[in-house]
Amino acid sequence: MRKGDSLVAHMDWALFVTYIIMLIIGMATVYSVAYNEEHPNIFEYSEKYGKQLVWLGISLFLGLIVFLIDSDIYRKFSVPIYMFTLFLLVIVLFTPKINGASAWLGIGSMGVQPAEFAKIGTALLLARFISTVNVKQQNIQTVLIANAIILVPMVLILLQPDAGTFVVFTSFLFVMYREGITYDPLILRVINRIPGIRFKETWVGGHFIPILFVVVILSIVTLLMSNEVLEFSFLPNVKVPGFYSVVATLFIIALLFLIFLRVVSARRERGRATLVVVLGFSMAAGLSSMVNYGFQSLRQHQKDRIELFLGMKEDPNGKDYNRNRAMAAVGSGGFLGKGYREASVSSVRSNHVPESETDFIFCPFAEEWGFAGTFVLVSLYMFMLVRIIIIAERQRAVFNRVYAYTVAMILFYHFAINIGMNIGFAPVIGIPLPFFSYGGSSIMSFSVMMFILLKLDSQRRDVLQ
Amino acid sequence: MNLDARRYVILAFILMVGIIYTSRLFYMQVVDDQWVLRAQEIAEKRWEITPPRGVLFDRTGKKIVSNRTYYNLMMVEAEIRDLDTAKFAKLIGWTREEVCERFKEIVRGEGTYYNKNTGKRTPNYQKIRAYPFMKELTLEEVARIAPHLDNFPGFYEEVTSMRSYPYANGANIVGYLSEVSQEEIDEDHFYKPGDNIGKAGLERFYEKELRGRKGIRYIVTSAMNNAIESYADGKYDTSALQGPPLKLGVDINLQAYGEKLLKGKRGCIVAIEPSTGEILALVSSPSYYPNLMIGKRNISMYYPKLILDPNTPLLPRPLASEYPPGSTFKLLNSLIALQEGVITPSFGVACNKSVVGCHNHASAGNLADAIKHSCNPYYYAVMRRIVQQNRKKSVFADAEVGLNRWVDYMKSFGLGLTLETDITGLRPGRIPDVAFYDKWYGHHRWAFSTIRSISIGQGEVTITPLQMANVAAIIANKGWYYTPHFVKSIGENGPLPQYRKKHFSKIDTKYYDVVIEGMRRVVYEPGGTGRRALLKDIVICGKTGTVQNPHGEDHSTFIAFAPMDQPKIAIAVFIENAKGGGGLWAAPTASLMIEKYLKRKVTEKEREKTIIEAVFSYMR
Repeated sequence: MRKGDSLVAHMDWALFVTYIIMLIIGMATVYSVAYNEEHPNIFEYSEKYGKQLVWLGISLFLGLIVFLIDSDIYRKFSVPIYMFTLFLLVIVLFTPKINGASAWLGIGSMGVQPAEFAKIGTALLLARFISTVNVKQQNIQTVLIANAIILVPMVLILLQPDAGTFVVFTSFLFVMYREGITYDPLILRVINRIPGIRFKETWVGGHFIPILFVVVILSIVTLLMSNEVLEFSFLPNVKVPGFYSVVATLFIIALLFLIFLRVVSARRERGRATLVVVLGFSMAAGLSSMVNYGFQSLRQHQKDRIELFLGMKEDPNGKDYNRNRAMAAVGSGGFLGKGYREASVSSVRSNHVPESETDFIFCPFAEEWGFAGTFVLVSLYMFMLVRIIIIAERQRAVFNRVYAYTVAMILFYHFAINIGMNIGFAPVIGIPLPFFSYGGSSIMSFSVMMFILLKLDSQRRDVLQ
Repeated sequence: MNLDARRYVILAFILMVGIIYTSRLFYMQVVDDQWVLRAQEIAEKRWEITPPRGVLFDRTGKKIVSNRTYYNLMMVEAEIRDLDTAKFAKLIGWTREEVCERFKEIVRGEGTYYNKNTGKRTPNYQKIRAYPFMKELTLEEVARIAPHLDNFPGFYEEVTSMRSYPYANGANIVGYLSEVSQEEIDEDHFYKPGDNIGKAGLERFYEKELRGRKGIRYIVTSAMNNAIESYADGKYDTSALQGPPLKLGVDINLQAYGEKLLKGKRGCIVAIEPSTGEILALVSSPSYYPNLMIGKRNISMYYPKLILDPNTPLLPRPLASEYPPGSTFKLLNSLIALQEGVITPSFGVACNKSVVGCHNHASAGNLADAIKHSCNPYYYAVMRRIVQQNRKKSVFADAEVGLNRWVDYMKSFGLGLTLETDITGLRPGRIPDVAFYDKWYGHHRWAFSTIRSISIGQGEVTITPLQMANVAAIIANKGWYYTPHFVKSIGENGPLPQYRKKHFSKIDTKYYDVVIEGMRRVVYEPGGTGRRALLKDIVICGKTGTVQNPHGEDHSTFIAFAPMDQPKIAIAVFIENAKGGGGLWAAPTASLMIEKYLKRKVTEKEREKTIIEAVFSYMR
């Protein structure tokens, strides 16, 4: 640390303020959802909002501690931290099950979920590992080690079982992709056995992860929309099959990218950029059409099985029951919402949407603030994620960059899956909405994650290249 | 490998999800209405509060239809814990099997819902909903059961309001309530399954007034279907409003007396106040005890019995039975003949029994005496003069012209058409016209001699007792009437507008005097057919009728009004298959009714006893 610098001199204020705004909105939503007329005081510890305030206080206190410690400690101690979180993941398996999963380590009446903190441990070790290898010469060994770092906690989490956090761990694949650790060496090892072939790299192997995710997500969205019929109040008697909306959305996105790329890219690159976008759009639309056609031509029982898997099936006691009610809550918000504390479907008292203060907290927020509110919320997340990536890319140290990317991708996953299940785009997987959902483990782990990032960033100039 | 460019892949990926989510949220929240409806379905419930129905008062202010509180035993299956069926069955006085059967019946009764999208059939029955397990319990029953319900979670009592009839009379006037049918629900969304609706009588005619306004509370419910708070602080709620009270022209004491008189006989009495058209009494015998037809439980028990009874107690005879009017019809033919100028009051006819039978009496030398004696040959002559006025060469064409004119007069008396009386179940009766006879005999194939029985109110003519009473009222008024009606005021308002409009007969006022004089002679002069209607200090004007019919003994009928100079009551009495003519049964019955109404007490005890004690063979 240079002389005369205060603790927060180089802190990224834009990210910090966004984080604080989210905490405030989240706290207000928890207060609204869990509001109890008998204890209207927000500091009432017997109510959830009182507890949440305590968690917020602890989180900010932990953030202060993080800021007091020299940032180098995370790189140096990444292995013990990782091992410690693994240890917690192992011992949590021997605790009695709560709601069907051994996920809680109780400290008195307060419980924490080791899985939440395992994300930080894994992120730090992955950053440490990638910063030590030269990815230009990646080989099978580096690929396998990187994957093992992720896989060990994933397996332990699946044993709890906690499907949500398990899925979130695949976000590390995107970080590996950004850093050039791909499955290319594995593919090359197979392909190059064919006589006459000597590839140094394959495009498919290199971009395997984003392609895989685009394919999976597009397929799921197409399937979810294939049974829907869109109707517009201003266009009576017009019924649009849901599948067209997917293609239309893809087209709009392609158009936006085209405009964006023509603005940012160099003149000589423009032709290539246009080709990439057109090709990408055609392939995506083609894939979506194929999935839709394939689904429509299936027999009913086959459809049933897929629909059941995706939670689309009408099953009053199943998961779709929850999602349908969550969607009703979100959709009934209208443009300006029903007003603060006026949520009728998703308040805790009415109990139509279970877990409306934790996993489904987006519901009451969307119901109370309408599209105006959800637009602001999505924009806040977009701003935060873009800001983190900007921060990541300005780091001199690889460790810092990799860590920043893990934070971005974990937040993105939580954002995408949590809101996705509220709007019918994702199956119901119980994971919290960062900074919003009630619960100590999630608020603390996300805060610590955020403060480590802020600390690393504020000290980025100290690191020699 | 350009790794730095990969940041754009990731950025694009994130932004794409952001854009897709924003547009999806816009579609769901702003464009698509289905989720608003779904949310209402889930959480916002309309609670309807059905107000008690409007009550009915008679003309003296006595409450004749009121409401009574009943209880339902409700059941919520989801809240039932460890039900001891044997104990429970003992508490409600059923067997265990009956309790189990009732459970199944409730589930079955809710039916199933067919989802077109999935092709699945799901039962409508929901465990978290409350269903009436036992309906319409009395206070005594519920007082026995309710204290023990704490031992049976999932069961509780609920208050409902039902009709009650403090007087056992006038069942055919007020009608009854019953559960709405699906068609009625489809037609009027006021109703929901389980609601009651007027099925007959005044309850049906004044349904829209009596039902009042339902109170609606919008509430937010929890997943367990409990109300948790009122929606939008009750901004959209409306309070329930009871229907306005109806005041009837009916005098319940007179009605009760009429029912007492007709006990043991099939028949009707209709009494009207001529100056207003208000119906004072409308007796249909036999009738039923109105409290039998309250609530689903009673109706399902008694309705089949009542509907299968050969004496048709559910039939409102004064409104729906179309009888030949018999000799009472002669009054009308007299008036028409006078108006047409085909006879004068001094017109006389020798009683020649060769054309038509008649009883033994001195020949009528004038119209008033003809009425007194009810002379059949006289009215053949009168009717011939009305029908055959020699306006056309052909006797058939001439009859057609004459009958047309006759029909016009009859319609002006409200005959052959359905009166606009405020009750359901009215019939029009029949005044045969040209078209009727043309269809029957062929065009120009009939003349007076073919249709002559209508001159004495037999044959093709039918009218209802209500119309007969109205004819009496028209004669009392000397030429005009208000449509007979029951309700003289609805809440603060008077009767419906159609009852404030005077209708006029096509007979000039001056012609009524001689007919009324004839009606006086019927009762007060030796040789009159209605001598048994005589009252000492009230002058009754009446006319008897003895109606031959293919169903056995002659019907006995009598129409009258009283007092002669300032008529307060016009009455028609019709007694089916009475052994003996109009003078024997109907006339004394009418006089008793008149005395009861005008004097509030009956002095002719002997006459009263004879009538009340008469029980005709078909009623035994």
